[in-house]
Amino acid sequence: MIAYLIRRLIQSFVVFVIVMFFTFILPYFETGGILAPAYIALQNHASPSAVHQWGVTHDIFKPFYVRFWDYFSGVVFHFNLGYSWRQTSSVWGIIKTFVPRTIWIALASLVLSVIIALPLGILQASKRNTAFDYSVTNVLFVLYGVPAFLLSLLMITWFSIDSIHLPPVPNGSSSLAIFYDPKAFLLPVAALTLLNLAFLSRFMRSAVLDVLVQDYIRTARAKGCSQMRVLFRHSFRNALGPIIIILGLFLPGLFGGALIIEEVFNYEGIGYQTVQAATYLDIPLVLGITLLTTIMTLAGNLIADIMLGVVNPRVRVEGRK
Amino acid sequence: MTFSGELPVGEVLTDAGLVPVNLSSENGEATFDAFVPLWRQRLRIFLQNKLAIASVAYLVFVVLLCFVGPLIWHTNQTDQAQALLAPQNGPPSAHDLLGTDSSGYDELGRIMFGGEYSLTLGMLAGVITIVIGTLYGMVSGFLGGLVDTFLMRLLDAFLSIPVLFLLLTLVTIFQRTTVNLIAVIGVIGWFGNARIIRGDALLIKQLDYSQAARAMGAGRWHIIRRHVFPNSVSNIVTVATFAVADAILFLTTLGYLGLGIPLPATDWGTMLNNASQYLANGYWWQLYPLAVIFILVIVAITYIGEALRDAFEVRLLER
Repeated sequence: MIAYLIRRLIQSFVVFVIVMFFTFILPYFETGGILAPAYIALQNHASPSAVHQWGVTHDIFKPFYVRFWDYFSGVVFHFNLGYSWRQTSSVWGIIKTFVPRTIWIALASLVLSVIIALPLGILQASKRNTAFDYSVTNVLFVLYGVPAFLLSLLMITWFSIDSIHLPPVPNGSSSLAIFYDPKAFLLPVAALTLLNLAFLSRFMRSAVLDVLVQDYIRTARAKGCSQMRVLFRHSFRNALGPIIIILGLFLPGLFGGALIIEEVFNYEGIGYQTVQAATYLDIPLVLGITLLTTIMTLAGNLIADIMLGVVNPRVRVEGRK
Repeated sequence: MTFSGELPVGEVLTDAGLVPVNLSSENGEATFDAFVPLWRQRLRIFLQNKLAIASVAYLVFVVLLCFVGPLIWHTNQTDQAQALLAPQNGPPSAHDLLGTDSSGYDELGRIMFGGEYSLTLGMLAGVITIVIGTLYGMVSGFLGGLVDTFLMRLLDAFLSIPVLFLLLTLVTIFQRTTVNLIAVIGVIGWFGNARIIRGDALLIKQLDYSQAARAMGAGRWHIIRRHVFPNSVSNIVTVATFAVADAILFLTTLGYLGLGIPLPATDWGTMLNNASQYLANGYWWQLYPLAVIFILVIVAITYIGEALRDAFEVRLLER
């Protein structure tokens, strides 16, 4: 187990370095060259000498490998993600401020969507190819086809402008605002939940379906277990494996979804910061956030694999070939 | 082919392979249809799916609307001078069937015009993702060993960056021309596809016919070209369908974030973004018609993809 964990951690680290390399090299291909951000930072009519000075202060002119090594060693050895080019704050400071705000929204909607998707998937699988199954599948299909921003827009139109008049903008500077003013978070959380649901329940259904055809289910039925017991005791536990993997893979997707939702609802979380940073070429911030989500993805995968061992003893020893 | 009773007795060797001859036994039980080629069986399964046919019909309708519509229904799509004189945010009327947008362009005309961009770009970007994904997956799965390990670790790295982050960064870094947008969406979309197709290649190269070809001295490239690729075409086609839907979704999301095709051209995302500025003003004609058309396009493509997957599913074939 320990050896497996160490191997996985090393693998993850390699992936992390590759991601860092690629994202670090990207600005070199910018239209307008590596100095393009200077024109945004200094406004369009900056004099050439001011641009040059900006480049010198931000270490732009050092050779690529020196810059990369500086960044790499900064991140890995000193946990220093550098300073934002637009805001007077370190990248880590910005992440520390805005990530919690996103996490609460993402977490709330994840929990909600799992609570809905699990029973829905089990029901769908047990009643497969019935009118119920088809109608749920079709509704989810349509949901799947609606892009995040459109869903949010429609929700704002219907529930904030046309009727009910829920607040469309969750404000409050505290990262715990969701607890002080839950009503304001109803719309964004609901939007994100619906989006997750469309994605998750398809996997839930097929995961349960795969279990339902197994021999032990037939045995359980044969010895007279009730439908409920078969579904929620026998199938559920065995369907957990694939579900956990999906959830692990799903973590970064949650961030991606939140990015759009935050932009539409004008909620200042990390997604909002990302859009801003990308639009104004705040390269260190973009890099920092990308690395953060990469770590989250890798951690998600790793945790999913470990959890899998907890749920299913058979995979515990084997690891991967 | 329907038969009850014994196996077919008479077979004729034709170009299409072994073809059972139409036989009728004495008791009239064993009847054999003529040999049905595989693609026709698949087509039949596809055509049995009413939703898939409706989806194809709808897509044809939208394509005709966007590309042929402007030739028949002349409206102001791009003329700025004329738009300035037209009513802005005008409600639907006999002249402007779906009203006008905030600049005074005819909304229906703009839907057609934006659709041309959204559909074409989505299509092309989808094709790029599938070409890259197929090549990468085939090479990785087929060569195996160290190459496979390296390519898959690299893919892990790509997959661990959230797609939207990558998309945003790339789009802001490169100038937003039509070609660049296609390239960027094409380049970020292939990761998942490559993984699926690699799985296929891994499987097929172990099957008897690939092994036999190898035993007869066929080169790697030959086996990929003549055995692995033709046998994973079904999966590739299915994956391609979803890739196109994804590409259109990405493009629209970019458009909504204000990073779509620059003026005076437009795409559906940019139009939806414009419409979102006036939500509270009640200009419903700017949002709902386009939203419905757009969502149905994505849903239709997804349905077609699902139907294709069913059609290629060997277990469903009548054999």
